[in-house]
Amino acid sequence: MNWHAVKRQLNGWAILSFLAILLIVLPGIVVLVELFAPVNDNWQHIQEYLLPRYVRNTLFIMVATGLLTTVIGTSLAWFVTVYDFPFRRFFKWALILPLAIPPYIGAYTYHGILNYTGVIQTTLRNQFGITVDQSYFNIMSIQGTVFIFTLFLYPYIYTITRAFLHNQSSSMIENARILGRGSWDIFFTVVIPISRVAIIGGVSLVLMEVLNDYGVVKYFGIQTFSTAIFSTWFGMKDTSSALKLAGTLMILVIAILTMERLVRGRKQFSYASTKVKPLKPRPLQGWHRYAVFAYVSIVFAIAFVIPFTQLTAWTFLTFDTVFTEEFWQLVWNTVRVAFIATVIILLFALIIANYTRLFPSNMTRVISKVTTLGYSIPGAAIAIAVITLFLWLDDKVLDMAKALDLSQTFVFRTTLIMLIFAYVIRFLAIGYNSIESGFEKVGKSFTEASRMLGWNTVQTFFRVDIPMIKGAIMSAFILVFIDIMKELPLTLFLQPFNFSTLATQAFKYVSDEKIHEAALASIVIVLMSGLLIFVSHKVLDKEAD
Amino acid sequence: MNKKYAALGISAALTTSLLAACASTDETTSNEGSDDSNVVNVYSSRHYDVDQQLYKQFEEETGIKVNVVEGKSDELLERLNTEGESTEADLFITADAGNLYQAKEAGHLQAVDSDELESNIPAKYRDTDNEWFGLTKRARVIVYSKDRVKPEDLSTYEALTEEQWNGKVLVRPSENMYNISLLASFIEVNGVDEAKEWAKGLVNNMARDPQGNDRDQAKAVVAGEGDVAIMNTYYMGLMLNSEDEEEKKVAEQLGVFFPNQDTTGTHVNISGIAMTKASKNTENAQKLMEFMSEPSAQEKFASVNYEYPVNESVEPNELLQSWGEFKEQDINLSALGENQQEAIRIFNEVGWK
Amino acid sequence: MFVQINDLHFSYKGAHEETIKGFSISITKGEIVSLLGDSGSGKSTILRLIAGLEMPNQGVVVVNDCVCCDDCQFMPPEDRGVGMVFQDYALFPHMTVEKNIRFGLHKLSRKERNERVEEMLALVNLTEFRHRYPYELSGGQQQRVALARALAPKPALLILDEPFSNLDTSLQHRIRDDLRRLLKQTGTTTIFVTHDEEDAEALADRIVYLGEGKIKKQVMTENNKTFNPQIPCFV
Repeated sequence: MNWHAVKRQLNGWAILSFLAILLIVLPGIVVLVELFAPVNDNWQHIQEYLLPRYVRNTLFIMVATGLLTTVIGTSLAWFVTVYDFPFRRFFKWALILPLAIPPYIGAYTYHGILNYTGVIQTTLRNQFGITVDQSYFNIMSIQGTVFIFTLFLYPYIYTITRAFLHNQSSSMIENARILGRGSWDIFFTVVIPISRVAIIGGVSLVLMEVLNDYGVVKYFGIQTFSTAIFSTWFGMKDTSSALKLAGTLMILVIAILTMERLVRGRKQFSYASTKVKPLKPRPLQGWHRYAVFAYVSIVFAIAFVIPFTQLTAWTFLTFDTVFTEEFWQLVWNTVRVAFIATVIILLFALIIANYTRLFPSNMTRVISKVTTLGYSIPGAAIAIAVITLFLWLDDKVLDMAKALDLSQTFVFRTTLIMLIFAYVIRFLAIGYNSIESGFEKVGKSFTEASRMLGWNTVQTFFRVDIPMIKGAIMSAFILVFIDIMKELPLTLFLQPFNFSTLATQAFKYVSDEKIHEAALASIVIVLMSGLLIFVSHKVLDKEAD
Repeated sequence: MNKKYAALGISAALTTSLLAACASTDETTSNEGSDDSNVVNVYSSRHYDVDQQLYKQFEEETGIKVNVVEGKSDELLERLNTEGESTEADLFITADAGNLYQAKEAGHLQAVDSDELESNIPAKYRDTDNEWFGLTKRARVIVYSKDRVKPEDLSTYEALTEEQWNGKVLVRPSENMYNISLLASFIEVNGVDEAKEWAKGLVNNMARDPQGNDRDQAKAVVAGEGDVAIMNTYYMGLMLNSEDEEEKKVAEQLGVFFPNQDTTGTHVNISGIAMTKASKNTENAQKLMEFMSEPSAQEKFASVNYEYPVNESVEPNELLQSWGEFKEQDINLSALGENQQEAIRIFNEVGWK
Repeated sequence: MFVQINDLHFSYKGAHEETIKGFSISITKGEIVSLLGDSGSGKSTILRLIAGLEMPNQGVVVVNDCVCCDDCQFMPPEDRGVGMVFQDYALFPHMTVEKNIRFGLHKLSRKERNERVEEMLALVNLTEFRHRYPYELSGGQQQRVALARALAPKPALLILDEPFSNLDTSLQHRIRDDLRRLLKQTGTTTIFVTHDEEDAEALADRIVYLGEGKIKKQVMTENNKTFNPQIPCFV
């Protein structure tokens, strides 16, 4: 590379991308430095008594959730794309809806339904005089945890696999049919192998959510890596060991992501935009029709209708006590913060994705990788890094103010800026992934055409690139917005004065053992997420046509 | 025109977000900062609606604005640790004496010299150096099934480890602060070895793996999973007055037993308040502390959540009175903090999940 | 010379061997040159280097007295005054035919812009399709839009990447005659890439045979003699 090549790399895009990357690398460094620091007494104690249990529980939950979500997600995707049965068009998008229920809300809702004073046992007891064995209704176990994760996370696999099957597989499946293979046969010998890459992509998203979950395992009292980090940090007051656990978790996540990349290899599971012949669903005959319908309905009922109904009932029960004028403030807080953070994330994601796309080099490849890995940094590490950074920043501001002899200074810590900053680090990877795949689908030739017509990269960015990936930007916006809206650990730890979101409000009620009171805040989260999912489904559907 | 809209949209979004970000920080900064501004900043792990009402009342009476960050005690303490001297918080309110002790040890607190606080709050519920003050008391008691257990069979926490209760004891997981403080108090009263023996014995007698919260233990007793549960008194109060008929029914089938009356006394913990060393609004903060210890506030504060007021001139709630008076554990509450780490280690070692 | 390329070298990142090994060419004003070669001969790469979409390891590109690229500077594609028709046309799907053509005319005044768009629409015979979107056009029409869009800003040099590869054979014959007439009419200096010798002979004044990143041989076509006797022969 000669010197003007270097000059070409160092432009505005590069500088902005580097700044964004710095944000992500910062907490990563905090973790890694601590990982190699000498161990203390606590760490030996953790290793002896706790680590085996954390590892066992975490692995069990990951493997079981991974398997179950795959089975449910893939089979639903298969039924919905390949067969025609009653209400197929409705289920096509309705099956995504469980994603609108954050797992921790699902967890306490199901606990509320199943426990001794829940609706099922109460009905059995009061109407039929039946008292049941509690162990059948106990959801606060490791199996219950897997149940909850499976219900509310399978849509990740369902959506990715369905898009893939819908667009890519028609010729293969039709060929297999012509060759006289039966449905089961096709499913296992054709569908599973060809959609392997899509499924693994979905599973890795599921596992990432599982590993980073705080609400469910905390509420159920299951000891996993993520609760361990926080209980070591807060309970044992041992930041160093907490960061060591965080580092271990981070390495685990990076391993998963690397495995996913290896399996994916050079194959893109994003589909080409042209010349795809969608699969035409085949009507089902006889009892098969009802069997499929029943299966799909049951999944939908358990993963959405039942918890949603219960939440609605509780909302009515407690509406008068919980709904005050401050509630609007909560909704406004939640929407405002999520909106601001999402916009910032999308701007960063667009800039980095455009930079790595326009100036491919080893350096940009590293930047792209690092951005994706941002997902793997545990929340605790982000919290510690952000607080440390902002304290330092405020110190500098104070010094400067003293030098300039100013009396009033601006304080960054305990402001929304700090919280938003943390969100950006936490969720940049999600925004980046969707935007990057949007760019991948469009290719580079439109950008090149624009530059050949005399527009520079910035002008091209606004006039051509952004309009061309509107759909991807939209779905990135929705994904990130929903994720921020339901985020818990960072919001709990970094919240400014007089600031609550719907998620923290719900969680506070739940930790005060007031499950019914938590319903209103929860249902608003579910409704807003559900609405966004519906909108994005409509938009993507329109784009696919 | 598409592209123009896109560019316009992006810039509009950017501007609004920046404006919104600035506006929101303006709100907070105007409330914070130098001594002359009329505010008090609170980190509180009590997030009951009655607290909000009291803050409002305080604002009306004094014109001092109360800013609150609500969170779990240990999280807020960790936040104080990280922020150190540059914290914005003036007051730290927690639902556990252990955390107050930890905050004091870490040097985050300052002594408050107030006659009013000293007369309102008995010395037993105050720090020896007046660095923290109790606001309410809660007792961790044994709750039993009225059908299956005769109160005469119950005596002490220690007795729950006996053969008779094998497979019958219910208690929540060990990561919970109430359990940590309970064990910490045993370490203080009986020494590390006996405390560990107790924890081991209790794990041995558990009806199931520890799970759920205090209310779940009560429900499990009624459901027949076990016969007795260790839980805080105020949950009984909350359940008896629940909007949910079924929860009421559960609570009605349960009895409250104050253990160790003939020996070391029932374990009592406090929720308390302390002023940070870095406080920039010390006068306002002291006013709020005093306000909280006054009989009128104490009455609301305690009765809504079925806790015992620390101010002895205030009568506890009727329900609490109906359970009768009891002998409290006679220890310095700082011990709950001193022995916290040891307690966590014991829980891990004996496998109390 | 109007276009002067000297000793161009280029290798793709990670590749051991250079794709382009010392390519040089001189083109006079108004000449149509075809780069002919098999796939992998580096012909499209040369176009991208001239356009500024790739950066050479070394070499000089001069277009119309303007040094686009030498050892110490690299002019970005938007400043080179080179027009390009892409193999897949790359028509902006979110813009109508008219807006696609107007896209490159931002340096003109509004009045000039409107005139130029009318002129180009008339030139490629698409005036009545102005409000259509690209996907509502046939392949041949799309190609004409792409050509009009590239010619609209009056580029000093026009480059075409496999202009006929997306058209069926019958259309191909008609279009290449039209195209040659159009290019000559506007006096546009042109380089185009193809793998079809027949295309090259029909459209170009001169054919440059490429192989393994180098010029194998150069031939003047019949066109050169019949249409443009004033262009001197230089091989």
